[in-house]
Amino acid sequence: MSSHREAPATSKDPVADNTDTYAFVSPDQPDTVTLIANYLPFEAPFGGPNFFEFADDVTYYIYVDNNGDGVPDITYAFDFETVVGNPNTFLYNTGPIDSISSSNWNRKQFYSITKTTQAGSQVIASNLSCPPCNIGPASTPNYAALAAQAVHEFAPRRTVFAGQRLEGFYIDLGAVFDLGDLRPFEKLHIGGMADSVGVNSTNEFGVHSIALQVPKHDLTRADPNGNWRSPNAVIGVWAAASRAKATIREPGGVTGCFGPPVQVSRLGNPLFNEVIVPMGEKDLWNSLTPQSDSQFLSYVQHPELAGLLPILYPGVFPNLAGLSAPRADLVAILLTGLPAGIVPGFQNYTGSTYADELRLNVAIPPSSSPNPLGIIGGDLAGWPNGRRVFDDITSVALRAVAGATYPLVDKSYTPDAAAALLTDGLTSANTSYLSQFPYLGTPVSGYDTAPLSLVS
Amino acid sequence: MDDVTRRVFVKTGAGAAASLVVVGTLGTAAADAKKEHHGHHSDPIVAWIGDPHDGRITVMSGRREVTIRDRKLAERLARAAR
Repeated sequence: MSSHREAPATSKDPVADNTDTYAFVSPDQPDTVTLIANYLPFEAPFGGPNFFEFADDVTYYIYVDNNGDGVPDITYAFDFETVVGNPNTFLYNTGPIDSISSSNWNRKQFYSITKTTQAGSQVIASNLSCPPCNIGPASTPNYAALAAQAVHEFAPRRTVFAGQRLEGFYIDLGAVFDLGDLRPFEKLHIGGMADSVGVNSTNEFGVHSIALQVPKHDLTRADPNGNWRSPNAVIGVWAAASRAKATIREPGGVTGCFGPPVQVSRLGNPLFNEVIVPMGEKDLWNSLTPQSDSQFLSYVQHPELAGLLPILYPGVFPNLAGLSAPRADLVAILLTGLPAGIVPGFQNYTGSTYADELRLNVAIPPSSSPNPLGIIGGDLAGWPNGRRVFDDITSVALRAVAGATYPLVDKSYTPDAAAALLTDGLTSANTSYLSQFPYLGTPVSGYDTAPLSLVS
Repeated sequence: MDDVTRRVFVKTGAGAAASLVVVGTLGTAAADAKKEHHGHHSDPIVAWIGDPHDGRITVMSGRREVTIRDRKLAERLARAAR
């Protein structure tokens, strides 16, 4: 899926597993950009008594490259500290939590933000409160208002939130991981079953989200003056998580962390490490910065999935089966950005450096009628121009890999008819997003979630 | 060495080139490195030796690390860990 459990090492380290990264011009504050980095996949809402939280021994990062070299020019680092109020109880809360400072909440988290630029590093906010997880009406009544207390304007027009949110990414995992089955097209699949409707496998799961909203000029190298053609208008975004180089565990539950942070997870474009990078190199990819991504170029030029589709759906993708040229369309979408002249009114090209980054042209205004299919759906404000929380990246990626975007670089190529139709059946998400910061929806409480409803 | 030998040696064998992780408090061998980084003398440290014959010892305290080269010390630690 986007990047949930996408690599062998991160699948065993969920608290450091960067699951989704988003970057978009804020629809309600269009002179700002919102950056979101999610961690901790598949949070079952009832997962107590030690409910989900960020790790004190992980540093979480959001990176911005504004000159196209694949190296961060701006780094936001988030460090968390857990404070236990009463170690002599097993309870997460000893009564209703009606405010994020409630003494009934026994396991609070606080965090700091360190911003690093060429000028140096500076702690720009500290002692910021996270909200608790959504437990149930007795413990966390009026959860939406409680979580809203954890939205902090830490400087004028600079806002942050870190805590549990409703998972925004939607995909039919049960089918997709069953040999690339897409339920709406099952009759055509080698499995030969009857077509059916898609199932949102992430429905009602929670995720831990770090959302940051800052003025555009905090991120761009210079003011593009509203000109989408300007190179200054494009930023590259990715997120990551790092752990200390050495961890020592001693009897008695004492753990020590030593040495500088070492990156263990990263995510720019959704599905890159998941689908493009082969198993044996996924952990390596997670440890690198985008400037090193040229070593993965061949996997983008010749994606494994493009070779599998004609096999899994016999006779459906004859043109794709005959397409042996390097996929310059995918290289542009994922590694360099699209130059001007490819899509009318748009570019997010950052130069010749191959780097997996979410490339956002901040001069493209938010759409008044957003299309989850983003640019291939005629909406220039969606993926692969950055990524919004509701973008249907699964359908877009499937169609692109199936050849729907190859005419962008070779107009003589005719995509297979199925390429423009591919979907896992979830193009209309059933997730409740917010229209304002932090945009991802209010998490479902454990009390309100029955295990079987996780598959609806 | 006294501080070190009282503590834990974790041997992480990697084929013929064994690696060592040593946990202790700052002793004389690492003192110079520690002074350069203004660490506290009582802070615990970890020393990582990827290849004892190479002599490079990476010393970590807090979020800091410094690599020194002391082949005799690295080999002494390797012998102690066997």
